[in-house]
Amino acid sequence: MSPTLMLNLEEEVSMVLFGVGFTMLLLHRNLIKKIMGMNIMDTAVYLFLAAKGYIEGRGVPIMTDGVQDASAYINPVPSGLVLTGIVVSVSTTALMLALTIRLYERYHSLDLDRILISMKMEEEEQL
Amino acid sequence: MIVLLPVLWPIAAGAAVLAYTGIGNSKKKASAGSPASGETAADRASGSDASGTGSGAVAGSAFGHSRITALDLIYMAALALETVLVIMAAAGGGSVRLFSLTDTLTLGLRVDGTGSLFAVLTSVMWLLTGIHSVAYMKHEEWAERFYGFYLIVVGVLVGLDYAADLVTLYVFYELMTLTSLPLVLHELTKEAVQAGMKYLFYSVGGAFLALFGIFYLANVCGDLSFTAGGRFTAEMAAGAPLLLTAVFCMIVGFGTKAGMFPLHGWLPIAHPVAPAPASAVLSGVITKAGVMALVRIIYFLVGPDVLRGTWVQAAWMVLTLLTVFMGSMLAYRENVFKKRLAYSTVSQVSYVLFGLSLMNPIGFTGALTHVVFHSAIKTCLFLFAGAVIVVTSWKKVDQLRGLGRVMPLALAAYTMASLALIGIPPFSGFVSKWYLATGSLASGTGALGFIGPVVLLISALLTAGYLLPIMIRGYFPGQDFDGKEIEERGLAKKEPSLLMLVPIVILAAATLLLGCFPGPLVAFVEKIAALVM
Amino acid sequence: MSFVQNFPFFSIIIAMFSGIVSSVLSGKKARAVSITAITVTTVLSACVLAFCLRTGQSYTYMMGHFPAPWGNEIRAGVLEGLTAVLFGVVMFLSVVGGLHYTEEDVEPSKQNLFYIMIDLMLSSLLALIYTNDLFTAYVFVEINTIAGCGLIMMSQTGRSLTAAIRYMVMSSLGSGLFLIGLSLLYDVTGQLLMSPAKEAVARIVADGSYQIPLLVIVAVVSVGLAIKSGLFPFHYWIPDTYGYATPTASAVLSGLVSKGYIFLLIKFFYRVIGTENAVHSHIINALFVFGVAGMMFGSLRAIMQTDTRKMIAYSSVAQIGYIYMGIGLGTQAGMIAAIFHIFSHGATKALLFISCVGLYKASGDRTDFLALRGSGYRNRLAGAGFLIGALSMVGFPMLAGFISKLLFATSAFASPHKMLITLIALAVSTVLNAIYFLRLLIGLYRPTKSGSFAEMEQAEQSGRGGTAGSGFAAPAANPWTMRIAIVCFIILNLILGLFSQPIVRAITDGLAMFG
Repeated sequence: MSPTLMLNLEEEVSMVLFGVGFTMLLLHRNLIKKIMGMNIMDTAVYLFLAAKGYIEGRGVPIMTDGVQDASAYINPVPSGLVLTGIVVSVSTTALMLALTIRLYERYHSLDLDRILISMKMEEEEQL
Repeated sequence: MIVLLPVLWPIAAGAAVLAYTGIGNSKKKASAGSPASGETAADRASGSDASGTGSGAVAGSAFGHSRITALDLIYMAALALETVLVIMAAAGGGSVRLFSLTDTLTLGLRVDGTGSLFAVLTSVMWLLTGIHSVAYMKHEEWAERFYGFYLIVVGVLVGLDYAADLVTLYVFYELMTLTSLPLVLHELTKEAVQAGMKYLFYSVGGAFLALFGIFYLANVCGDLSFTAGGRFTAEMAAGAPLLLTAVFCMIVGFGTKAGMFPLHGWLPIAHPVAPAPASAVLSGVITKAGVMALVRIIYFLVGPDVLRGTWVQAAWMVLTLLTVFMGSMLAYRENVFKKRLAYSTVSQVSYVLFGLSLMNPIGFTGALTHVVFHSAIKTCLFLFAGAVIVVTSWKKVDQLRGLGRVMPLALAAYTMASLALIGIPPFSGFVSKWYLATGSLASGTGALGFIGPVVLLISALLTAGYLLPIMIRGYFPGQDFDGKEIEERGLAKKEPSLLMLVPIVILAAATLLLGCFPGPLVAFVEKIAALVM
Repeated sequence: MSFVQNFPFFSIIIAMFSGIVSSVLSGKKARAVSITAITVTTVLSACVLAFCLRTGQSYTYMMGHFPAPWGNEIRAGVLEGLTAVLFGVVMFLSVVGGLHYTEEDVEPSKQNLFYIMIDLMLSSLLALIYTNDLFTAYVFVEINTIAGCGLIMMSQTGRSLTAAIRYMVMSSLGSGLFLIGLSLLYDVTGQLLMSPAKEAVARIVADGSYQIPLLVIVAVVSVGLAIKSGLFPFHYWIPDTYGYATPTASAVLSGLVSKGYIFLLIKFFYRVIGTENAVHSHIINALFVFGVAGMMFGSLRAIMQTDTRKMIAYSSVAQIGYIYMGIGLGTQAGMIAAIFHIFSHGATKALLFISCVGLYKASGDRTDFLALRGSGYRNRLAGAGFLIGALSMVGFPMLAGFISKLLFATSAFASPHKMLITLIALAVSTVLNAIYFLRLLIGLYRPTKSGSFAEMEQAEQSGRGGTAGSGFAAPAANPWTMRIAIVCFIILNLILGLFSQPIVRAITDGLAMFG
């Protein structure tokens, strides 16, 4: 294996995680697992961003001891992005969970396929 | 500005009729009111079908018990006024620019010789058929709706004839398809709706095929206004590699309306289900709109010089000859009277297209004169078919035996029109076919130029074969014919009412007169031909 | 700095705040606030458009006190202004047109929620149009998704809930891809603002480094936004979503929301990657192929439907395909055609959805073809609206759709490799469009008699509890708001069809400003 593989460990992990999350969100039939997949996917991106912002041997970007030199701190922008991203993903997760609860109350199932089937059956009964 | 009048007037009048009568059946339903109105409507529909046989007796007397209403009078007056307006516009000339769609594409109308020829022809046919339709519509429901759309279509057609550029023509062409659709759909039976769909899809499909070509031409030459002789020079044509393909697309596309193979399928389906006046104008006039579009594209936009001797010309000639032959064959084998006439239209309009495809002045003259003659003849034949349906409710050719005992005068008119369509010398069809044949021989297209007259001859024989037996067996039903049905139903000597008979006779007389004195018409067309080539 | 330059920022904030304020208001008041907000933002956007047209250039607007590479920016030009105005108009008419039905479909206690979603939708659309910052774009993409999801589930039927969860799943996939794409871009260029990012990308392309990451970025962002806008083969959530939401929601979702993402993608190509590079990356060819496939597939599926709402929804799949085909041509002309089609389809599809409802109401709330027979007579105005909309879709001259087709065809001639495919696709899909729209139109104007009429009479009586004995013959009463909306939509369509030249010119100028 090439040496760069070890050098970019965080990025690789985040990509693998992203793939895992993406596949879960896309293919899993269970709604809760879909939501978990979405969160894994988002977290992977945050890991990626955090890894990008981190510079070996530097401090947290909070001014300490009056040092104003930028080279003393890591890049603060990705951290800001991660924070914003977390807020966004929390709200989407909340919405998806709320929807899931609604669907569960109505169809007593978390399986999307089964929900679709019972929805169709319900409609046929109405007709 | 005067050119706008014949376009706007009938559209306004038709819209007023529709608005006044409430477009469809709503008025009748509103009067019926109760939930049971559905059943009454159904009863009425089935009742009129069943009583179709009986109603012949009623229609027999001149105006009979079916009164002429104020609406009928207004309708006929509107059509008469339309004819006057068209003639005024043709005499007055001028042009008007309506609108700019984009920087290069404009909408406008302009009076010229070709446009006037088609517009006057259209309005005259429309008037005569309109008079006939008043009587015919007494036996159909929803006459008001028919009147309304019938008026609108003539405005659209005149607009199409006077279009100054291809985009305007296309706009009116599409409008024509949509506004004439209710005429086909009129009876709203299952067959009618199916036929209407077929009509619509063929027309729309053809129109979009043509649109493809229009887009290309718009791209190549920018300005799409019509100029006699075309806008393309040899260099321009050389710079546009797909020009021939685009033209071919437009030929096939607009050929749809003219019933040209391979997109002729709508004609025999749409005609039998439409009311007879509608099929008369569909066949006699609306098919000519496709011809008009092709005249404009070939002779006024692309130019015959660019196309002469190319594969497009050869392919077009082959298609038209194929259509001529096939249409006659199918007509010969067809038993439903109106369908037989529809196949005959397929064949005859392709005579016109064949003339156009020759791209020489003689062929052009033949084509345009045949437009006029065929219009008169085919309108006459369809009106006759309508009169037969109203009086006797006979729709099949087999049933027409002994028709001479029922309506000898109308059958005489039919005979004249048939002879004209076959091309027997004193009648008009002969003149145009003569030009077509000589034009074909002089076209310099090699073998095709010689095959042409042969096909025309065979087709003329077939035409005789499918039209004349009706006349022969009508007057001479043979020994074994007892005429029982005619006597039982009291049909003997039941000429159609005057409103029906007069247009038929006028048209039949016109076929004879135009055949005896074709000079002015031929001279007029030859002048156009000299202009474009 | 002119005061007008603040307007893009104002309009985003106004829309957002009206959403926040509405959460404590009653349904009626929230409605008033929402409609006011839409009107005000549209007027403001019009001012921005006028300003940009007058000065002839675009401008960037610094948000807060941090200058370019760090701070957040808004950018406004002719194209942004124009899009904002047209989106505002369509939004306004959709909300007004569906007003009455929103009241019927949504529980009274949740009415204000509906309008909050509309406000948020508006603000996120405006932000997507105006923003100059990719991460801001991502945040507003998510807000847009949430608002869209809220709009879909408003009617609370089983269908709409499942449609909402499907929408949410697909949208999350799309935004996940978009997010990873822009994280990668940040990694490669160190920039999130569009203009500096573009310079960085140009440097990277020039020195030949990071070619593969750049390709991945373009691919991931394109696919992400394509999923969100419902490009074939990611379209399967569309029919249910558009088909079973309340009319306003359907109109807004299909008319605007998917277009907002496409606009963002165009902006991404022009303002970040650079058209040259986007064309060279061949991603654009994939978009072209899927666009064409979508045109065919959407139309074919639309033909197979017997339910009007689904038919219109599948037709949206086809129309989205048109837009991607235009983008995929990779030429200026293709892009202009695509943007014009965004407008014309937005206006037309919203008109179809709104006028359809009038027809359903006149047919005992049924939506299948059989029930709609003759409904053009029962509800004249809705019938007329549907007629105009359908004809425009088919590409009838003088209407918006015709100009779109004309632009697509003309642009096809400019790109020789794709010319034939484009033209054939246009021709075939136009014919397919004609088949399903005209078939329905004939049904609408087919006077009913005998069997089907009696059957519908029954449907009518069960639908309205037998109160309306002869109600079928009487034209259904349209709420006046809907009448206004339909008339305005028809006018909008005619304007786009008849006076397209200034709009096309504005699009051209706007794209030049993207540069």
